[in-house]
Order: sequence, then structure tokens, then C-alpha cells
Amino acid sequence: MAASKCTRLTGVLSRQLLDSVDSVLFDCDGVIWRGDQAIPGAPEVINSLKKNRKRVFFVTNNSTKTRQMYADKLGKLGFNASADEVFGTAYCSAVYLKNVCKLDGKVYLIGSNAMRQELEDVGIRPVGVGPDPVSGVQKDWANVPLDNEVRAVLVGFDEHFSYMKLNRALQYLCNPDCQFVGTNTDTRLPLEGGKAVPGTGCLLKAVETAAQRQAQVVGKPNIFMFECVASQFGLDPERCLMVGDRLDTDIMLGSNCGLKTLLTLTGVSTVAEAEANQKSECPQRQKMVPDYYIESIADILPALQA
Amino acid sequence: MAGAAGGGRGCVTLCGAQIRDLLDAKHNVLFDCDGVIWNGETAVTGAPEVVSLLKQRGKRVFFVTNNCTRPRENYVQKFSRLGFTDVAEEEIFSSAYCSAAYLRDVARLQGKVYVIGCGGVLKELRDAGVPVAEEEDAEPGASIYNCPLDPDVKAVLVGYDENFTFMKLAKACCYLRSSECLFLATDPDPWHPLRGGRVTPGSGSLTAALETASSRKATVIGKPSRFMFDCISSQFGLDPAHSLMIGDRLETDVLFGSNCGLATVLTLTGVSTLQEAFAFRDSQEPQQKHCAPDYVVESVADILQALEE
Repeated sequence: MAASKCTRLTGVLSRQLLDSVDSVLFDCDGVIWRGDQAIPGAPEVINSLKKNRKRVFFVTNNSTKTRQMYADKLGKLGFNASADEVFGTAYCSAVYLKNVCKLDGKVYLIGSNAMRQELEDVGIRPVGVGPDPVSGVQKDWANVPLDNEVRAVLVGFDEHFSYMKLNRALQYLCNPDCQFVGTNTDTRLPLEGGKAVPGTGCLLKAVETAAQRQAQVVGKPNIFMFECVASQFGLDPERCLMVGDRLDTDIMLGSNCGLKTLLTLTGVSTVAEAEANQKSECPQRQKMVPDYYIESIADILPALQA
Repeated sequence: MAGAAGGGRGCVTLCGAQIRDLLDAKHNVLFDCDGVIWNGETAVTGAPEVVSLLKQRGKRVFFVTNNCTRPRENYVQKFSRLGFTDVAEEEIFSSAYCSAAYLRDVARLQGKVYVIGCGGVLKELRDAGVPVAEEEDAEPGASIYNCPLDPDVKAVLVGYDENFTFMKLAKACCYLRSSECLFLATDPDPWHPLRGGRVTPGSGSLTAALETASSRKATVIGKPSRFMFDCISSQFGLDPAHSLMIGDRLETDVLFGSNCGLATVLTLTGVSTLQEAFAFRDSQEPQQKHCAPDYVVESVADILQALEE
């Protein structure tokens, strides 16, 4: 398998690939949907996989929804899916703080209500969600009242991001014992309607720069996202397929975890980029070469229905 | 000794006669402000006297600060308040003033600038006659998903902004999609020191967010970039070989001095420590070596002793 990579997935190969795996992990944006529109054929593929007794999971760096909110969106778009099959970074960050950081205390959260909810569901109390405009004058800001039960700062997507939030995070992070976690480093967040805005990566960079500290990042390509799924469902990496549209997150995750990887061309990355990585001498870039690529996941459907 | 390529900068601690000898060779003295001549609202002991004496001895004195929060006229008032007599507005070069000068004189901006910044920057831009895109605070119906753009915007300037919001980040990012739109940052400082060893996020952290969002690198006006020195030089004609830079932050003030071919003095009344200076001096990387100062003094007050002897 290592020798031949970046192969176009044809009908015959599709069948072989599907027979060689029990579980398929899908990225969402650019793979099964774009904004609030399903990629044509994607719901049929997922539903057909399940009929073929494959397990299906959804692994996304997007931190703006809870597992249940994702399940609702999946249902609305015609996908047969349940909340426990969804692994978004709102949920995974909460699990990470609890199980890996072993957080005992509160977390200062720059993020969404969805993140707040996932944290509360694992028994962690967040502070700071919502608008937080600056008040007072500069000399007051270093003395903003800090909650002395806060033991970590978590940064995710936050449309209420402000200087004051950045300042509070910095004050907490001046304590080297305060843990520092980010949901993901994606620089753009795709929105409903096909637009995009600056992503979590920008906000995280602001906090990292001010604090002169590096965050532990939960999302792809960090293997934690896969471990989260694998530990709950007992997955064998060699019998798993990762399907994504980004070489630097989805495919890298697959390589890091020893999964088979399939790049779909309905999103961000291109075949040219994959082939350039393949020709490069750099080991990091070699991890961003998929085993297979396909125009759209809808193209697997014939192999499934045969 | 100044400007030696490849480093070898000595971090030599100076006293009395040595300071006098150094000053004899330097006609122009450039001071950073925060941590050098004052800390917050308190002058460093002896600093006002040093500035006066240097001028009496015929030196030209300039103040070069990355702090973009005040317009120059406010700095004049601060100098006066803290006991510095006869500091003229023309001698003060802040990153706000220099950013405006850059847009007007170097970029020769035809159009407006979209500003992420505070009152100090806006005032300097207005004084320089650079048109600023209006920021409508609460447009009904505007959200991060569809904010109106001004077609006359041809530059984005980012600096310290206590009213920074996600919306501003998104808007600036939209403007920067056009490769013709200039991308400037007032200064690179990731944080600024406040009283009592505390810190507050600096322009550098906001710039980092915007660089990440736009996949573009900002042109940075403030130290350690050369531009502020070029700005002073264009008005006063400075010869680097006869100029001295005194600062407290190795990665900004000393590197700035090094980049411009000036002799550099680190004073220990601010951010950087002697240990940090040694670490830069002993580093193998050329860029790091340039952050090591030629000389070190405990405080600018040490210059006073040298001048009075």
C-alpha cells in the first residue's frame, strides 16, 4: 500500500477498498456538505455504507456545534446518522480537557455556546462565553478580576472575540500552570451559504502571540480526534478509511494514525498539491499524500450498490 | 565596533569614562521611552536630567517608540508632566506618527485606509491628511456574514486596539483579498508591560490574527524595522555611524539599532535582562546575534554621572 499512492479510485478499486475496511470516517465541510447543502449523492453514499454494514463516523474541526446539533443537521440533509457518531472539536475538546489534561477546575473559554454545553456535559464549568467589550482604561486591564478556580484556557471559534477576551486569556496564561488548549488551527471557517470568515486559527494565533505560549491543539491532524472515536468504538486502524478534502488536516490525520486515506476533490485540496507532496523529499509532506483520490464521494455509489 | 557583521557584540557594561568616550563619538542619541526614560507615569530617576544635559552638550536627542496609543501632542504633554523640559514634538517619533508618514510619503496612498487601531493612530492619520475609512459602529443588520465594504479602501493598518472585534478582523481580511491593498502594522510587540510586572496584549497579537486570516505578511513600521530611523533621517539627516540607540527590549530596540547600523545600549530598567542579552550574544544564529547590544547600562541615569564628571 505504501508504494502506490495518490491513485485515482476507479470502480474496481472502490470495491476492493470498501471490502478492506469496516469503518469509514468522513470530514464534513467540503466532503459531505458545503455550508447547508449536501454534496449531491453524499447522503446516499453514507446510507448505503451503513446498509453494507460499515460503520460511519463524522470527524470535523468545526467547533460551533454540539454533537446533537450536528446530528440534527445531518438528519435535515438526509443522512442517516446519530449524535454518538459525530466527533466535532466542541465535544472532543471537552473530552481532551477532562481525560488528557485531567482538568480539575474551571476553564476560561473563548468559544461558542456549543462548546460551553459540551464542557458542561462532561462536568467542566466554563467562564467567559458571550460578548465581552472592554471597559475601564488600560491600567485596569491587567487587574481584571480573575476567577481563581480557572485552571485552563480553551480557544475555539468565537464571533464575540474581542480585545478584552484576548486580554483575559493572557492574564490567565501568565500563570505557567494554567493549561492552554485550542480546538483547531484552520484559518477559515466555512459558513452556510458558501461564504467563509476568519477561522479559529486566527484567534488562537492572537492568544499564542500575546502569551508567547503554544497551545495544545485538539483537532485534526492531531491523532486525538481518531483516538476519541477508536476508544469509544474499538476501531482497528488498518480496517478504517479516512475520507477528507484537506491534505494538511484530514489526510495527515489518516497518515498519523495508520488509516487508509481518500481525498475527495469537492473541497479545498487538489490532486496537483497531493502530487507535489508526493514528489517532495520532506517527510512531513509525505504524510499529506492520500492513498486514493476521487472527484466526489458520490462516485463510490456504484460500487456500493453493485 | 558598531555594525560589525556576524555579531561579536560585546554586551559590555559601561561606566563613567567609557560612557563619556562613547558619547563623544555620537552626535545623535535615540531613546526608546517605555522602560528607558519612564515606566508608566513615573520618570526613571535621572532621565529628565540626562536628556537636558545631552542637549546642552550639543547632542541631538530623539525619542523612538513603538507605542501607538497616543498622538505626538499627547506625548509632549506627558514629557512635560514627568519633568522633561524642552522636548519638542518634532523630536518624538511614535509608530502611529510614522505609520501615517509612511502612508502619505512612501506609499503615497491614493484612497482610504481601513484602520484597526486606537485614537492615537487615527489622530496621526488625520493630521497627516490620510483619509480613513469610516467605521460604522452598529449598522443594523450587519453581521460578520455580510458586512459592507468601502470601495475606496486601498490599505489596511493594524495596531493596538482595545475595541478589536471579530467583525473588524473579518472586514480587514476582506479588504486584504485584493493584492493591491497595502497591509501595514504599526509595530510587532506581542505584549506591552503595564505597572507591576503585568502585561496587556500588543499590536503584534492582533497583527498575527490578521496575517493568519489573510495568508499575507504585514509591512511592519515600528522597531525593529528600519522605517522609523529612515523617517527621522529624512527630516534631520542622521549619520548612523554617529548615532546611538538606547533601549530596554532586545528584540525591538537593539535589533532596530543593529538593523540601522547604530551603536546600541541596553538599559536594565525595562523588559530585557542581562542574561537574555548574553544568550543572544552567544547564539549561533546571525539574526539572534543582532539582538545583543554593544553596551549595557543599569539605567540611563548612569549617563548622568558620565556627563557630570
